[in-house]
This record gives sequence, structure tokens and C-alpha cells, in this order.
Amino acid sequence: MVKYLAQRLLLMGITVTGMVTVVFFLLRLIPGDPAEYMLGDYATEESLAALRAELGLDLPIHEQYVRFMGRAFSGDLGTSVVTGQPALAEVLASLPWSAALALAGIVIAIVIGVPLGVISAVRQGSWTDLGVMLVALAGISFPVFWVGLVAILVFAHELPLFPALGATSSENPLTRLHHLALPALVLGISVAAYIARLTRSAMLEVLGQDYVRVARAMGVRENRVVYRLALRNALIPVLSVIGVTFAWSLGSAILVEAVFSRPGLGSMILKAIFARDYQLVQAGVMVLSLAVVLINTSLDIVYGIVDPRVRTA
Amino acid sequence: MTSTIKGHHASFMVKATLAVFATVTAVLTAMPVSFAANDVLRVRIGSDVGVLDPARIFGIENQTVAGHIYNGLVKYDQATNKIMPDLAREWTVSPDGTEYTFKLRDGVTWHKGHGELTADDVKFSLERVLDPETKSRYAGQLAGVTAVEAVDKLTVKVKLDKPNAGLLNKLTAFNQGWIVSRKAVTEIGDKNYQMQPIGTGPFMFEKWTPGNQVTVTANPDYFEGAPKIAGVAFKLIKDETAAAIALENGEIDIFFALQQPVIIDRLKNAKGVTVQDRPANHTINLVLNTSKKPLDNVKVRQAIAYGVNREGLIKGYFKGTKAMGHSVLTSSFPEYTEDLPQYPHDPEKAKALLAESGVGAFELELVSVGLSPYDQLIIPVANDLNKIGIDTKITILERGAYLQARTKGDVMTVITGVVGPPDPDSPLVTLYATKSFPPGLNTARYDKADELLARAAGELDPAKRTGIYRQLLKQTMTDVPVLPLYADRLFIAHSDAVSGFVQNSLFTMQSYSVSLNR
Repeated sequence: MVKYLAQRLLLMGITVTGMVTVVFFLLRLIPGDPAEYMLGDYATEESLAALRAELGLDLPIHEQYVRFMGRAFSGDLGTSVVTGQPALAEVLASLPWSAALALAGIVIAIVIGVPLGVISAVRQGSWTDLGVMLVALAGISFPVFWVGLVAILVFAHELPLFPALGATSSENPLTRLHHLALPALVLGISVAAYIARLTRSAMLEVLGQDYVRVARAMGVRENRVVYRLALRNALIPVLSVIGVTFAWSLGSAILVEAVFSRPGLGSMILKAIFARDYQLVQAGVMVLSLAVVLINTSLDIVYGIVDPRVRTA
Repeated sequence: MTSTIKGHHASFMVKATLAVFATVTAVLTAMPVSFAANDVLRVRIGSDVGVLDPARIFGIENQTVAGHIYNGLVKYDQATNKIMPDLAREWTVSPDGTEYTFKLRDGVTWHKGHGELTADDVKFSLERVLDPETKSRYAGQLAGVTAVEAVDKLTVKVKLDKPNAGLLNKLTAFNQGWIVSRKAVTEIGDKNYQMQPIGTGPFMFEKWTPGNQVTVTANPDYFEGAPKIAGVAFKLIKDETAAAIALENGEIDIFFALQQPVIIDRLKNAKGVTVQDRPANHTINLVLNTSKKPLDNVKVRQAIAYGVNREGLIKGYFKGTKAMGHSVLTSSFPEYTEDLPQYPHDPEKAKALLAESGVGAFELELVSVGLSPYDQLIIPVANDLNKIGIDTKITILERGAYLQARTKGDVMTVITGVVGPPDPDSPLVTLYATKSFPPGLNTARYDKADELLARAAGELDPAKRTGIYRQLLKQTMTDVPVLPLYADRLFIAHSDAVSGFVQNSLFTMQSYSVSLNR
């Protein structure tokens, strides 16, 4: 177990370093630089050169990389060229917003997606199955920003149940939940569609297994067969997808964040890319990839505990 | 499968669910907090702030927030754009026009206990912008300033190498004209100062929540009297549809930087909402690089001017929300005139001019930035030019790449505008002076304006100065290195709870005059 954990931790370190390295070089490949962004319309040759020198952009790229990595390992991710604030602080400020949205979204996705998938599998080939799968297909196909705008129009405007703004500065947890509800629902529904389809196919596979047939032949009640025998085993692949989706939605909720005017890690990284704010992008990607890797690693470890076959595989 | 494993599953599911709910609640309660009083004005901004140091500031959102915090020696009247006293009670200009002496108001205090405003703060502010170490983007705006002297506690003298009739425009409360405190900047430090601004203005900086909002609170000691509201929360709402609904629902009070024609229409018809508009200080232009063949030929440039259906663009694409650009100075400038060469849409004349020019078929690359509406309006422009026989190629660049292309200045054309104060030099020097050759916005590489610009700067008689500017406008609209596609109009919407709001033409907004009745 210790060896297993050590391996996972080492792998985590390599993955995050790799991600940040790729981003470091990709950023410097795209045209434009922070000096041009900061000096803008009134830039002169001299002022551009001076600012580039201050930011260390005049050094050869490999030297910049060594410098950055050296500092990163001592916990210094640099300061944002735009705001002059420590990059890590700005990233960490946006993390709770993303985490709240992703968590709430996943909870909604599970609550909607899993039962729909089960119903669909149990009634395979029926009109219910067809209906659920059509809705799920629509959920996957409609772009999330469009669904978001429609949701705002319907549930914040025509029926003013929710605020149009997905973020609030209020201290009241209920007010916060109220603002979070609509964006979480929109994100949740798009993820629920995936989960429903996955649950359905996992269920169908399990329902065709010998032990399910045996249980049925032995006269076990159908409810017990479906929920206690089949669903529990079908949930293993579903759970791993939920883990991946959760990590994914930490960064990919950009569109939901944009429509609902919510801060978040994805939006912050996007803003930093537009500004060529190298330090901020690097810090953002580092935290994001660390979160993704952490979530996946902890899930792997949980599987290792739950199912010994995973540990040796 | 054994029953123990099933048991693990069950407890895992329960624990996981509990953990998820616990984390959601924990995260929700741990989120950044700010005030939400009933008399706080809520203003929509479309982009996040990030630079509130006057030496480095740019972007209309930053400038709007900074305008609440800082004062200048002088300021533009929000409604009329006349230059008015601000921190300076009065000023005199030496007969030769090279010395400006400002008498400061007495008893003006800096926010958050940073002491009293003195002439030394003004000296510090201007010298800080000029100091190459600061790497201010506005050092060039104060070019010609040779010395700033604090004569006594409340008298400051600005000395110039030669007369500059436009100096006051450079010292108005905007960008480099905003005065900072020597004590505050030194104590807080250059880097941290960017997001910890200290001013003398009607509002004090409170808190920035990245990606969400920035708040300012009323300054009870403001020298012109405390504001009538407790503070302002500038809320980041990128999407204009969401912002419109938020305004209609009463989630915000003022919709700043309203731009989409459809949304303008919607809000004009909404109950409890007032839409205001006025001409902006800027035009959006198609800049033609005169150093590239065949754009070096004036007939080709005039043909392009006749060829683009600007009337159609304004009436069609913009649904009449923009105005004709007769020159790069809009009607909000005192120097504005329409007594200039005009280029009504005339494809036949355009074709004739192209034939006259002797230039054969050529390809024209139209470069624009990937931001609405500039990435869209380029399409009808290209279409119009195709119709007069010019083979156009559209290149839309992401903002950073666009900035780089513009800085290098080797592109054939570029869509650009100069957003700024009602200072005629702001668009004219920026677009036409050789000192604005790349890097800079004179990507037209126009080199025939320097003499007139210098004469205007040296002319202290306002009427004569206006005459020189108009002469320059005539010349540049004959040569058309820059074709104004339209003169921008600024739209802003507010709810009925807001009264006393005055819209300016700078593409910023000021809440000082506002009262709230909710």
C-alpha cells in the first residue's frame, strides 16, 4: 500500500511538472507578449525593451524556464504583470468559486443522471428509454452557454425565481446558494446527460451477467436485483467518470461562468492568457492540474481500498 | 462479489455524499465577503479591473474605477468637456507659454490617513510618470516637461521646453493627470500600489474580488462634499444579455458600456429603465498603411473611402446607434467640423479613381481584432470593397496577436480607434504624427502632419489653434491615410432608482453626482 501511494505521488509530481512545462513553452509560442499588452498604444521601442528586461523576457527561453522552475519549487510562482499581486494568491482566490460550482454541478448531475440511466436500462427499448436517451442527447448537444442564456431568460426573467447573476458578495449562505443554483443546474444538466448514458450502458452490461440471471431465477425481487445487485456494480465505472468530470468542470466551466458572471479558475486563466500574463497562467494551470491529479489520485486510492483487483492491475 | 465489498461500497457512497454536501456548505460560507448595503450603487462593468496605478492604467473599467478615487490638477466637466479647476483652484500661464503655475486647494486630504495634499505630491506624480524607471505608458504624454517645481506648500510650477497650448489636456484628471500621494506610493510600494490606490477623490478604494467585483466607499471628507451614496460596487458581468436582465430585475442599477444594438433596443423598451447616449470622443477607423503598395497612391485610398458603404454599415449593422465619421474628431470636440472632403458611398466614382490610379488588380488584407463588433463589421467592409474590384482578404487576430501586428506596423490595414479624453491631440498625434510610427498607432505611417501639429501646440490663441486643427483635418481627409468608419456613440442604461447621473464622453462613468432612491 505504501509503495502504491508513493508511486501515485511521484506520478502526480511528474504530471503537474509536465503540464506546467508544456504551458510555459506554448505561452511563449503564441504571438504577443506582456510588455506589448501593458504598454499598449503608447509603447516605444525603449519602453518595450525596458519592461521586457524587467520581466526577464529578454533572456533566452531555456534560461527563463530554469528561472521559473527554480522559483516554483521554492513556492514562488511570481507576480501578475497586470495587477502586481502574487499570482498564486489570485489563483487561490478564484478556486473556491470553481469548487463550489463544480461540486454543486456534480451533485445535481448524479441526482438526475443516475436514476435516469437506471430507468432507461431497466426499460430498455421502451418509449421511456427512447425519451430519456433523446433528452440526454439534447443535453450533450446543446451548447452550455445557450442553455445558460435560456435558463436566465426563463428562470431569472420570465419567472423570476433565481437571480441572473451567479455570484454574490452577500455573507448569507442561503443567498449564496440561491445565486449558485441556476449555474449549478445548467452545468449539472449537461453533465447529467453523460452520466445518464453511461449509467444506462453500465447497467445493461451488468443486467446481462450470469449472477443477475441466477438471482432472478432464484426469485429475488426485481427491485432488489436492480438496485442492490446491478446498480452497485454498475456504479464503479460511473464513479470514475464522475471523478474525471468533476476535475474537468473545475476548469471547463468557463462558459457557465461567463454567462452567469461568476468568477472561477477557468475564467481567470482565460483572462490571463488574453493579457499574456505568463505568471498568472502558469500559476493557474499548476493549481488546476494539481486539483485534477489530486482528485483522480484520491479516487484511484479509494478504488484500491474498495476493490483489491485495481491495486494489482 | 462478497458482502464485505458491498458493505464498503455502501459506506463509501454515504460518506462521499456527506463529504460533498459538507464541502459545498464549507466552500459557500468561506467565500469572499463584502458589504451589500441598500445605498450602495451597483454598476455593471464588462471586463475585470487590474491596474489602478495612474502611471500604468489602461482600459475603460480601470479608468472608471480610478476616476472615482483620484483627482487631477484640472478636470473635464462631465457634461460639457470644458476644463475646470479640480485640485488646482486656479492657474496662470507665463506670456511665452512655457511655464504653468498652479495654486492648489488648501486642506485636501489623502484617503485612509495619508496626510494632506501638497505641491510636492504633484511634483512626485508628474516626475514619476516621466521617470523611465516607472515604465509608465504615459511618459510620452508629458514629453516637453523639463521641470516640476514645488514653489511652496500649495504652489506648483510646470516648466516646458517650448510652448504647448495642449498641456492642460495632459494634466486633466485622466491617466497620467491623476495625482498620487508621495507618502502612499512610497509606503505601499510600486507593485502593491497597482491594486491599493490612494487618492483624494469622492470614493475610497475598498476591495477587489478578482473576477467578481471591485468596491469603493464614500469619502466623507471629500473637498466638494461627501457623495450622496454609501459606495459603489462595480460588478463584472461580461454578457450583455445577462447584464440587461440583471438591470431589469433590479440586481444592478447602472449598465455601463452598453454596446449591442439589440440590447439597446430591448432596454429602451424596458419598464423602469432609462437609456442615455452621447457622442464618444473616438471614431473606429480603417487605417491604410501608406508605406505599402498600392496604398501609397492617394487615389487608391480615396477609392477605398468612396467604396465603403459607411452609411449602410451605420444604418444596417449598427441599427443607427453610431454616427458618420467625417474625420477622426467626433462632434464632442470643440474643433469638430464637417466642412471637409466628404466620401459618400459611390462605387462608380471609386472604380473610376482606381482606373485613374493606374494600379492594376491587387489584394487588400483587412486586419481586425477578434472582438465584437470589429470582427463582424469587417465583413460588410470587405464586401463593399470587393464590389469595386479590390480583392480583399480578412484576417481576424486574437487580441494579443493583433497588438503585436499593430506594434510592428507592417500590416496593410488595421481596424483601430483611439479611446481617450476630448483632447484633439489624443487622436491626431496618435494617428498621424511620425513619432507615433510603429510602435504606435500611426500604422498608416503618415508623415505629413508633424508641421501642423507643432504649430497647433505652439499657438496659444484658442481660435487660431482651432483653425490649425481644422486645416489638418482637411489635409488628412484629402490624403485619407485613416478612414473613419463611424463615430462611436456611448450608451449607458440605468434604473429609475438612479437620479442625477451625468454621462461623459470619455467612455468612463462617474457616480459622484448620483443619488439612489430604492
